Amino acid sequence: MIAWTEEQEAFKDVVRRFVDAEIVPNLEQLEHGDLPPYDTMRKLYDTFGMKEMMKARYERIIAKDSEGAGSERKATTGGGDMMAMQCILISEICRYCPGIVTALGVSTGLTAGAIIARGTRAQKEKWVLPLLTLEKIGAWAITEPGSGSDAFGSMRSTAKRDGDGGYILNGTKTFITNGPYADTIVFICKLDDGSTEPQDRKILSFVLDKDTPGLTRSKPLRKMGLHSSPTGELSLQDVHASADQLIGESEDAYGRSGAKETFGTERSGVVAMCLGIVDRCLELCVSYAKERVQFGKPIGEFQLIQLKLAKMEVARMNIQNLLFRLIELTNAGTGMSFAEASACKLYAAQATMEVTIEAVQLFGGNGYMAEYQVEQLCRDAKVIQIYAGTDELQITAIAKGLLRG
Amino acid sequence: MKILVCLKQVPHKDARLEIGSDGTWIKEDGIKFEINDYDNYALEEALRLKDAGEAEVVVATIGPDRVTQSLRTALGMGADRAIHVWDDSLANADSLGIAKVLAAVAKEENFDVVFCGLMSDDSNYAMVGPMLAQLLDIPHVTAVVKTDFENGAVKVEKELEGGTLEVSQVPLPCLLAVQTGINEVRYASLKGIMQAKKKPLDKKALSDIGLDGAAVAPKLSIEKIYTPPKGEGANLLSGSADEIATQMVGKIKELGLL
Ligand SMILES: Cc1cc2nc3c(=O)[nH]c(=O)nc-3n(C[C@H](O)[C@H](O)[C@H](O)COP(=O)(O)OP(=O)(O)OC[C@H]3O[C@@H](n4cnc5c(N)ncnc54)[C@H](O)[C@@H]3O)c2cc1C
Repeated sequence: MIAWTEEQEAFKDVVRRFVDAEIVPNLEQLEHGDLPPYDTMRKLYDTFGMKEMMKARYERIIAKDSEGAGSERKATTGGGDMMAMQCILISEICRYCPGIVTALGVSTGLTAGAIIARGTRAQKEKWVLPLLTLEKIGAWAITEPGSGSDAFGSMRSTAKRDGDGGYILNGTKTFITNGPYADTIVFICKLDDGSTEPQDRKILSFVLDKDTPGLTRSKPLRKMGLHSSPTGELSLQDVHASADQLIGESEDAYGRSGAKETFGTERSGVVAMCLGIVDRCLELCVSYAKERVQFGKPIGEFQLIQLKLAKMEVARMNIQNLLFRLIELTNAGTGMSFAEASACKLYAAQATMEVTIEAVQLFGGNGYMAEYQVEQLCRDAKVIQIYAGTDELQITAIAKGLLRG
Repeated sequence: MKILVCLKQVPHKDARLEIGSDGTWIKEDGIKFEINDYDNYALEEALRLKDAGEAEVVVATIGPDRVTQSLRTALGMGADRAIHVWDDSLANADSLGIAKVLAAVAKEENFDVVFCGLMSDDSNYAMVGPMLAQLLDIPHVTAVVKTDFENGAVKVEKELEGGTLEVSQVPLPCLLAVQTGINEVRYASLKGIMQAKKKPLDKKALSDIGLDGAAVAPKLSIEKIYTPPKGEGANLLSGSADEIATQMVGKIKELGLL
């Protein structure tokens, strides 16, 4: 793949039309007010017929299950076309509102994804379809106040067997996307059987409904950017979960690898987000460089400004090419190694941060003002170096891949 | 019912336009294009007929290779098939030339209704529709703001000056040149766009429809296009909205207009 196809370009155009009509006019409220993104997400799904597509996807998942072939995780070829369309949707929305994509990705990608990957058929039937169609909003909770990068090592949340086939859950989760509003929560914790040392305990994950007794949720936390994606804290005090809420209905179903797979898909989606942010910054900067006159000429005529623009274009090309490779690999059914996905995420996140901060610089004082949008993209971009694995953790994963064996 | 929708691809409304080196048209390289806005409404009107019952919607356009993307969009929105006509001799075609090509396309099949936009966003002639109707020898209505199809005829409302409406009853086949705002244009769905690749898109040369360069040679040529020079005497008011309003009333009184 060396360029978007005619159909993909056509989809880009209609998504852009939707963004112009439905997101741009509400941007102020989404980014500076308290307008949760969920109605916009649902409108997006209605507009582009995504609900029907998700229903069809759900039926394929269930059909595969009936064949006994396991789950969607099995490598399948094709699918590149669908992935390309998904990337276009993500990047076009991120030109204005990376927060919406985060909220959407966590709900349909991480939360539904975790249940699709390891859940039993009954669990999929109960929770997956409403999540995929956005009828219900999902949250995926692994991070805790004392455990982030070292997600499993420092994890304090526990599940204890209640002696009746069920479990008692305790713990606090923080920075949880959609936490304040989610209907369905995937809660990841360690099995405390009273004898195993914390570092050797099994990782379990449970699906909880928002009204579960003992579960409390904070209001959205105030943060640097990504205001259109509500982030909150969840705390569980002696929450009772029955065995059919344990993903896979087996203490060995999820484990560390289940969460790791989730990290992998997260990393690739982020590259598409980066493309949108960089693309928009470049567009804004080129037009500003032509219009803004200082010392009697447009600032685009100064070489120092040209350097910024040229570097932004290089970043845009590189990120787009990474995305094309991701699509090709998906189509071939091979996917990316964990180390390569990490490399993509690391590069894209750093390049995007550099582009957005330089965009603020290129706009001067206007760049610091909300009206010109680059400051928002800059604040939003920063989170990409932090969530879905910090830059430092990506570096560690790449190096591990290189030094292995 | 068989419906033809004539589409034109025009420069995107957000494109930065620069005049080309020969001064007779804009520079087309590097800018984005889109479906002419009026034509979107025409297409939507046709698709609504399709949604309401049995109708085949065919879209046709004339233009270089880039126009196929607009045809894909139209197919993604729900049109059944597309026809793309091009010949280098059409590069400078005038309205009559375009109407002749579309007439030749339309004559290959028996369309009950031909929809087009009232005019194009880029050249504003508003002539292709009426000329095409003339060449096909069918009745037409321009500036259509409402249609009501029943028993082989259509009741059409047309917009006149100052918001007055004119109602007429037109037998089929006919041509309707649609005004913007007549309906709410749908978005192509993701599934629709993914299926568009599989729908037929016929590429035709002039010879395929019984024409040649001479038959469509332009009778009208553009001498030059230019941006009008900045005028004198404009009075720019500044301040808050309230202040500007006060100044404006003062100015109007000063000029004795009030
Ligand atoms: C907006 C937002 C949304 C989020 N959404 C979710 C969500 O939906 N669900 C969820 O579970 N979590 C979510 N998170 C949490 C996110 O995944 C974590 O913040 C992230 O993994 C980093 O963990 P931490 O914040 O504890 O930082 P720490 O792990 O404490 O890291 C602090 C610093 O130390 C560095 N560091 C740590 N370990 C090493 C090492 N071994 N080598 C070198 N450097 C190291 C880090 O890179 C970082 O620079 C979200 C976070 C944010 C900001």
